[in-house]
Amino acid sequence: MALRFEVLGRFNRARAAQLTLPHFACQTPLFMPVGTQGTIKGLTTDQLEEIGCQIILGNTYHLALRPTSELIDELGGLHKFMNWPRALLTDSGGFQMVSCITNLYVAGIFYTQWHFAYIFQVSLLHLADITEKGVTFQSPVDGKPMLLTPEESIQIQNRIGADIIMALDDVVRTTITGPRIEEAMYRTLRWVDRCIAAHKRPHEQNLFGIVQGGLDPVLRDICVRGLVDRNLPGYAIGGLAGGEDKDSFWRVVAQCTAALPEDKPRYVMGVGYPLDIVVCSALGADMYDCVYPTRTARFGTALVPEGVLKLKHNAMVNDTRPIDPTCACMVCKNYTRAYIHCLVTKDAMGSQLLSYHNLYYMLQLSRNLHSSIVEGRFVCDFLQKMFPKGDVPEWVCNAMDVAGIDISSCCSS
Amino acid sequence: MKFAVKALSSGKARAGVVHLGSCPSPIETPCLLLSTRKGLPIFISPDLLSSLPSPDSNLLQFSPLHFSEGPSPKTISSIGGLHQMVGLHEYGFAAVARDSIQCLPECGSTNKTGASFETPCGRRLIKPVEYMEMITSMKPNLWATLADEVPAWANNKRNKTSVDRTVKWLDECIARSP
Repeated sequence: MALRFEVLGRFNRARAAQLTLPHFACQTPLFMPVGTQGTIKGLTTDQLEEIGCQIILGNTYHLALRPTSELIDELGGLHKFMNWPRALLTDSGGFQMVSCITNLYVAGIFYTQWHFAYIFQVSLLHLADITEKGVTFQSPVDGKPMLLTPEESIQIQNRIGADIIMALDDVVRTTITGPRIEEAMYRTLRWVDRCIAAHKRPHEQNLFGIVQGGLDPVLRDICVRGLVDRNLPGYAIGGLAGGEDKDSFWRVVAQCTAALPEDKPRYVMGVGYPLDIVVCSALGADMYDCVYPTRTARFGTALVPEGVLKLKHNAMVNDTRPIDPTCACMVCKNYTRAYIHCLVTKDAMGSQLLSYHNLYYMLQLSRNLHSSIVEGRFVCDFLQKMFPKGDVPEWVCNAMDVAGIDISSCCSS
Repeated sequence: MKFAVKALSSGKARAGVVHLGSCPSPIETPCLLLSTRKGLPIFISPDLLSSLPSPDSNLLQFSPLHFSEGPSPKTISSIGGLHQMVGLHEYGFAAVARDSIQCLPECGSTNKTGASFETPCGRRLIKPVEYMEMITSMKPNLWATLADEVPAWANNKRNKTSVDRTVKWLDECIARSP
């Protein structure tokens, strides 16, 4: 174990904590921007530090392809390679291989613009095949069949050197039903044992297990208990953020957070929208990651307390207000909507400035969650700004019921 | 603006210094103007720009034509000018109608009423009055007149026309100078 997790304050199930990792002492709840290829698109590491980023997520699959984990290791590890002094988390590499074709096709358009086109070839995904050995796929570089085993995933992550590494799990989309989900859940448990055995740096890197089981509470329960038995430094809730309905989503999170140990961090993978993060934090989760803030920035969309602001819209042409008058970021302090409008989708600077603002927004949201959980007002403040007419979605109301948080003052009905 | 020559070589070269109202420190010449796209150096936001050597990196060149599709001169005026709009209050801006990359003079389409440019928004004909409207709203520290720019291989007649037009437009620009 190479971390310390100390709960500093609570409100029912929600916790504000300090997570001390080898490279940085973090405050939770926290949001982790996704820095796929050892960089967050549009921002330098100085800027990330400036806006208060604590942990960056790197994608093992992409880094293993380019520039290879061996080279990263040779050059002193990913922290040194990308010049990021704070914490890093790497995923196992499995998800990228079996991700939804639609998502990666869309991503491919942007990656083309940012010159990463060869990484994302849609044809790759048709050939991902999962067996007990590992995940077999076709290399996008030369078409050769490649196998990612739990052992190999951990070895690559050991070389990359992140503070937190993820076990290779057998992940299935929650929109799938049938025996495949049960198979994947049990395999995830068998693979976590192989990951633990292969892990060469347990005193420097924290291996998190990932709870699978689809939307089936029985399977989820078996998986949670199996992972808890292995006494890992932290746990992730996986297999969500893939198109399931919100009502199912929050119930799985609620079940898992209720069963996972109190004194260890809980990471909901791939989440997400600000509203989802607030709800999951109310239910007792601590860590989140998502490409949404930076990806939506490249579409010209800004995150604001009221929801989203589409800077491409003609209404922005002569709007001399900042994106968000309540935001203290460099973009909102210096720029008008009119100026950003003239940049978006035409000049890279538009994506850069919006990515900066959107990440600042997510990190500020994390800071607000941490500081206000103790006071207990955090959910209401957020919901009142996002739903001024009181039309809070039903799934949120249901989740808050379970979380024991009274939001009647924010709801019209 | 103030410019003074501080030293001369035995030939024609000179070392000088430029004082601009918006820049806190004088800038030594010869100096390099950073080229910009819509007022900001490409990929370099203001917080990153400040990490370049100062005051040497404080002078930026821009083309008013980058804003052909907006924001309008009226909006730019209400924001307070270019320095305000791009958040570079302590920098100097020099306006030139053409840049060397995306707003290129199209001398074949230029006529007596205005200069033509190939831009990312298509071909645009800019008249002195429009150009000066942009300059007035953007308030750069330095600005070049609208000119009829022709390549070095233009024939004598075309060359002569370009000089006559440029002088005429210079007078029109000066007359509308803020």
